[in-house]
Amino acid sequence: MLRFTLFCFFFSLIQVMALDSYSQQTRLTLNEHDRRLEDVLKTIEDKTEFFFLYNKDLINVDQKVDVKVTNQTIKETMDALLKGTDIHYSVANRQIILSNVDNNSNLRIQQQKSISGKVADVSGQPLPGVSIVVKGSTNGVITNAEGNYSLINVSDNAILIFSFVGMKTQEITTKGKTTIDVKLEEETIGIEEVVAVGYGTMKKSDLTGSVSSVKPQELKAIQSSNALQSLTGRIAGVNISQNTGAPGSAMSIRIRGINSIQGGNEPLYVIDGFPTNQSMLLALNNSDIESIEVLKDASSTAIYGSRGANGVVLITTKQGKAKKTQIDFETSYGVQTLRKKMDLMDAKEYAMFVNETLANSNLSPYFSQDVINGLGKGFDWQNALFHNAPEKKVSLNLTSGNEKTQFSLGGSIFNQDGIIRRSDYNRYSLVLNLNHAISNKVSVNVSGILSYVDTDRKDSGGGNRGAGIIGGTLSGPPTLSPYNEDGTYRELKTAYPFISNSISNPINALNEATSNNKENKILINASVVYNPISELTVKIAGGIVNNDAISESYLTNKFLGGFSSASMGSSRYRSLLNENTVSYDKTFNRKHKVSLLAGFTYQDFVTISLSGSGTGYVSDVTENFDLGAAITPGIPSSGYSKSSLMSALTRLNYVYNDKYLATLSFRGDGASQYTEGDKWGFFPSGALAWRVSSEEFFKDVPYISNLKFRTSWGIAGNQAIGAYTTLNTLSSGNSAFGDGLHVTYAPGTRLPQALKWESTVTQNIGIDLGLFANKVNLIADYYIKNTKDLLNSVGLPLSMGYTSTIKNIGEMQNKGFEFGIDANPINGDFKWNINFNISFNKNTIKKLYNNQDILGGSLDVNLVQDYINILREGQPVGRFWGYIEDGYDEKGQIKFKDMDGDKQITMKDKTYIGDPNPDFIYGLQSSMNYKNFELTFFIQGSYGNDIFNVSSINSTLDYGIGLNMPREVYLNHWTPDNVNAKYPILKVSTNVKASDRFVEDGSYIRLKNIELAYNMNLKKIGMDHVRFYVSGQNLLTITGYSWWDPEVNSLGSAISQGIDYYTYPTAKVISLGIQARF
Amino acid sequence: MKKSILIYHRNQSGISLIWGSYLFLIFLIVTSCNDLIEENPKKIAEETFYNTALEVETAVNAIYTPLCQNPQNGALGVNSVYGEFTYGRGSWAALNDYSGLNDTWITRVSGWWQSLYLGIRNANIVIKNVPNASSLSQTQINTFVAEAKFLRAFTYFHLVRNWGGVPLRTENNIMEINVKRSTESEIYSLIMSDLVDAETNLPDMPRLIGTPSKWAAKTLLADVYLFLGKYDLASQKAKEVIDSNKYSLVAVSSTDDFQKIFGPKVTTTSEEIFYLRYTHDKNQGNTWPALMNHPGTGLYGKSGVYGVYGLSTNTAYKNWDNNDLRKGQWYSWNIGVGANSLLSKKFIDPETASLDGGANSITWYRYADLLLIYAEAASRTNNGPTADAMEALNKVHRRAYGYNPASSASVDFKLADYNLTSFIDLVLQERGYEFDLEGKRWSDLKRTGKATEIILAVKGKTVAPKNYLWPIPVNEFNFNKAMDPAKDQNPGY
Repeated sequence: MLRFTLFCFFFSLIQVMALDSYSQQTRLTLNEHDRRLEDVLKTIEDKTEFFFLYNKDLINVDQKVDVKVTNQTIKETMDALLKGTDIHYSVANRQIILSNVDNNSNLRIQQQKSISGKVADVSGQPLPGVSIVVKGSTNGVITNAEGNYSLINVSDNAILIFSFVGMKTQEITTKGKTTIDVKLEEETIGIEEVVAVGYGTMKKSDLTGSVSSVKPQELKAIQSSNALQSLTGRIAGVNISQNTGAPGSAMSIRIRGINSIQGGNEPLYVIDGFPTNQSMLLALNNSDIESIEVLKDASSTAIYGSRGANGVVLITTKQGKAKKTQIDFETSYGVQTLRKKMDLMDAKEYAMFVNETLANSNLSPYFSQDVINGLGKGFDWQNALFHNAPEKKVSLNLTSGNEKTQFSLGGSIFNQDGIIRRSDYNRYSLVLNLNHAISNKVSVNVSGILSYVDTDRKDSGGGNRGAGIIGGTLSGPPTLSPYNEDGTYRELKTAYPFISNSISNPINALNEATSNNKENKILINASVVYNPISELTVKIAGGIVNNDAISESYLTNKFLGGFSSASMGSSRYRSLLNENTVSYDKTFNRKHKVSLLAGFTYQDFVTISLSGSGTGYVSDVTENFDLGAAITPGIPSSGYSKSSLMSALTRLNYVYNDKYLATLSFRGDGASQYTEGDKWGFFPSGALAWRVSSEEFFKDVPYISNLKFRTSWGIAGNQAIGAYTTLNTLSSGNSAFGDGLHVTYAPGTRLPQALKWESTVTQNIGIDLGLFANKVNLIADYYIKNTKDLLNSVGLPLSMGYTSTIKNIGEMQNKGFEFGIDANPINGDFKWNINFNISFNKNTIKKLYNNQDILGGSLDVNLVQDYINILREGQPVGRFWGYIEDGYDEKGQIKFKDMDGDKQITMKDKTYIGDPNPDFIYGLQSSMNYKNFELTFFIQGSYGNDIFNVSSINSTLDYGIGLNMPREVYLNHWTPDNVNAKYPILKVSTNVKASDRFVEDGSYIRLKNIELAYNMNLKKIGMDHVRFYVSGQNLLTITGYSWWDPEVNSLGSAISQGIDYYTYPTAKVISLGIQARF
Repeated sequence: MKKSILIYHRNQSGISLIWGSYLFLIFLIVTSCNDLIEENPKKIAEETFYNTALEVETAVNAIYTPLCQNPQNGALGVNSVYGEFTYGRGSWAALNDYSGLNDTWITRVSGWWQSLYLGIRNANIVIKNVPNASSLSQTQINTFVAEAKFLRAFTYFHLVRNWGGVPLRTENNIMEINVKRSTESEIYSLIMSDLVDAETNLPDMPRLIGTPSKWAAKTLLADVYLFLGKYDLASQKAKEVIDSNKYSLVAVSSTDDFQKIFGPKVTTTSEEIFYLRYTHDKNQGNTWPALMNHPGTGLYGKSGVYGVYGLSTNTAYKNWDNNDLRKGQWYSWNIGVGANSLLSKKFIDPETASLDGGANSITWYRYADLLLIYAEAASRTNNGPTADAMEALNKVHRRAYGYNPASSASVDFKLADYNLTSFIDLVLQERGYEFDLEGKRWSDLKRTGKATEIILAVKGKTVAPKNYLWPIPVNEFNFNKAMDPAKDQNPGY
């Protein structure tokens, strides 16, 4: 009952995330009597992030004022403060500009010439409040609301200084001029930028931890289907790769290496304050996103406790703003094409290849010379499977608001056809953010995401000996076509007596098998923010994430190799969140800036699932929508799982005199899935930073505009196990008896044990350096991450019946160095921004249970059935493990090195044959502007990682079963005349083992994106601007990797990385688009 | 300054109030938090199970599941292909050389070892927990335990014949990680004592079609005794089964009639003693038939991987009498290894929807087997064929030619023509024809000491000695510290 009441209480209250409407949110309490105006202004600057801009010669700041306000907005405060003076003010973002009632009337008249003009920003927007001063004098003026100024009494060879906070100061000589119009450029210092951190925001300059921030204009610069693709290669220390090229496929993100064997290595995704997962992020369109922050070190992630060890990605969706309605519209159309076609044998070569294989195996040739002579190129299966696929995107975003209410509403449609026919991905999303100030103390915020994702899958990667769509396409004999003469599908399995019994006709699978996934994703997070006094913020938030997924599959009666079959599954994932935080921010004595946060949160995660299936349907018309009509109905299944997490958290930030910064945080997490007594984990962190450039002695140091040293230490955790892992429960099943199926109950094969948290201790040191007025910014970080109590699966003797158990036993280390540089070397009509990052990470497994190796990635492609990854103490995670080849024997068969010298080749001869972990990864972005033109390109790469090319096992060595192969196999195999060939003798049985032959260097450098844009300023016709662009993705890739694409991770798992197994290839894309703002 | 202190005081009281109520809330929540982070799975806890008949039945049924998993990767597949009639293609070709298992096959038989021991664990759980069942009668307890013991003995019998001595896991050491390798005789002792319990306590009629009756226990016991050379006991147990008159051979008049025994639609027959069952349901099918069928024939749905085949040039096949209806199960089909290849239609399922979807049973113990066990054991006990033994053999033989198994026929062997040696050879040959592809051949050849001779004569291959036993899985040595790979591994590995 108590619990119920509390729930009602929390969930009836709603939340706020107010990042932008600072001027509306900030509340002030002042009580000043008979003080100098200047002092009062300073007090306001200390208490808030506002700062004042005025000209001392025009504004009398020495006058005494009285003011008494309690928890008022800045507007109300300023009204009260300036009542009775002749001073006017205007608020623009965090600037407050003070001016006289009438700028011009107060100017002293002198006997010299006068200058007038207009000051505007680059886009032509007039700038009010710009200070214009005659150099070397006190003569000056401020522009009025229209940006106009007029300055009298200026000598003919004077110099005017135009200055405005946030803009670059300009000096212009008056010689021979009476009108000077000026365009001020924004100063890209970025130091006062506000970034999101866990449970709040912070000035970038106050950061002590390692946080990378990506702004919407950077996201927009890369055309991609989701935000993670846009982030690829852009942030030092963050390795993002696409598992496959299939539309809508998942991405692998590794922040500073792999930390967990048993658990996930994905970071925690927090969308508008709601901790959730990658799939929710992929449901968003880039245009819906305001900013993305990546928290990398423990001092920034420890506030997320047991979920912070892999880093945290904070996503803020577009927020409303208190200004006139702004409409952004974007649409683009792109064409995707297969980046690279495999060079396979043609029909004639194939026939001769088959004959040679049979002849070498003492079998009679299959193709007669007459037949061979009549063969040409034959059928091109790759052309039949792949096509040029369109990709369309439309988005519309509306932001508007006044001082009380602001909102942002965005809608988008994204349709991507895959380069494999009939595979596609469609996403429709709607995002709403609403802020409303109920009173000057209470405000509410709602952010909601509604997304529908519909994916048609044709990416059944893997499949040996020609099975699967991709395997069938690469292995399909060019002598055969997909259809028989009567128009029916050709069964390749029976087309030749020698042919593979697994080979599928990919065109049949393409047309007659459908697999579809439809998901409704909802994220709603709401909060109430209460400011009893301006320093104190109480926030109560509640939210829900709900993901309803329906998966359908149907094989028609025309599907070769079986009967029609259908299945349908539904799963619902639902997470409820309640967060209650209190924060207190105050600056004492102008020097001690303190912010304190404390909170209590609860989140639960429930998944329920239901699925049904059936085989054999009279008609294909019903597809998977009449499961009951199956000749053999399947056994329905359903499931339920719930876990919950309860947490208390606190954080203290302290800044002394803008020079010395400290952060302490602490979180306690209690999670349901751990054993009684070990449910609670505690995650502390601390960080110190020293901004050397703010020191007095640094004032005269040339060139260096910003210098900060940072160091941090902290512990973050990884939940690593799912619900019920530690409980002894029975699993149900079925066993057949003469009268049908009967229920069975038995324990699983994993022995449950008491378990606790996996935790990672991270130490980080970093330096931020700004040079030449921050035209060049460098960030460098060095870190050591030690994961302890690593959960790892410990093998048990197979004879126990239990085959494994999980223990908190291992230790793993990641050490690395990250470096990023951002520079604006040229600024003028021609502008150039260049950004480069590089990161090195070294992973070492420090300890495993009883020094026992863990074998990952069991591989079964008939020809090879083995484990190809190993986890061993002292080695990086997931090293490739196999035999080393030693040329050919006199019969042309592969020989292997006898590593242990026992004169036979056994499992003991396996050794390290490669490492899927890159030595370093890097990204380089350049963007150039000239007048209305903009050219951006982005290069990204990886160096030193190996790929285990599983595809090439069947595709280059599995002879005698009629698979088509790369032309190279036909041209360069062992014969008595060519004993140093790349491939062995063509024979029905080949001596193949998981060997170094299949390990290839996966290094690559890729022109990920290049874009040319033209900006048109359309203010005159009432629009803001229009931007036209043409963009290309993956146009150029330099790599030694022989197969389709080096950016591949078929299995997507931590311990079996870098495997390419008939993976859906990556496309290259050329697109055209328009962005318009009204 | 004074006034700002005042403000400060007032604010602090506000702070205190908020902090106070907030802390109170946290206190309320934390006190109830143990409830919030407690797990309440909608799953059955092991500790509270095994009490009612329904519960125990499901636990007993669970012993069968692993025993049905991938039998083709164990005795059924390897021991069939190692026979004189059959060859392997593709990954199965590695078995043609009799030079020991390669990596692929070591991995495959390790999987079967794992399945067998999972079955043993599930049996041990029943044997341990069921005697404490709160709502079962002593008779019910005895019957369920007897069924579990039958299955445990059946499983260990497979283990001991293929691996020799193995770790002995019973209800007394379920949770022990390190268990030493026992000797063959220790394993056989458990098998025999389990089967004696099973023949005493199992019912006359099986609980379900596919579970053992007491007669199945006697049959298995007869087979165990035969392997141990206890021919008198084997003969005695087999005789008890024959005399029960529970079983008879199914009459056939054509090769296709054998589908009445092996076909996917057979519910049960008068010949069934103990079979493992499969259905067309998902994950409930038999994969073994896929290995001998070709998608082009339509005999196994639209699939088949033809990894197991025969050759018309094989001398054992050529010597097989063409009038024997069983020989007709081999038919000619070009599978790309040359024009002489043969495939078997003994195990076919035209209606299967997938490779692993055969509904054919695995016929581990048929009445034909029992008759031939009896024929051999009785003759060996008697030091020469007896009339009963000859009749038992003839029943199987004449049925294969389409005659009524119960009455004498022109193809009958005559008692007078055989002495002990020639009769044992005759039984062995009959077993080869009768149990082709039923996973028995290699064990029979090893047991009778004929393996090397017959394989050399028919296939021209020399059987390496290490080929008699399979390697104990590497995983067993890695994690079972009571076993030493240097001492406990079988020779040759």
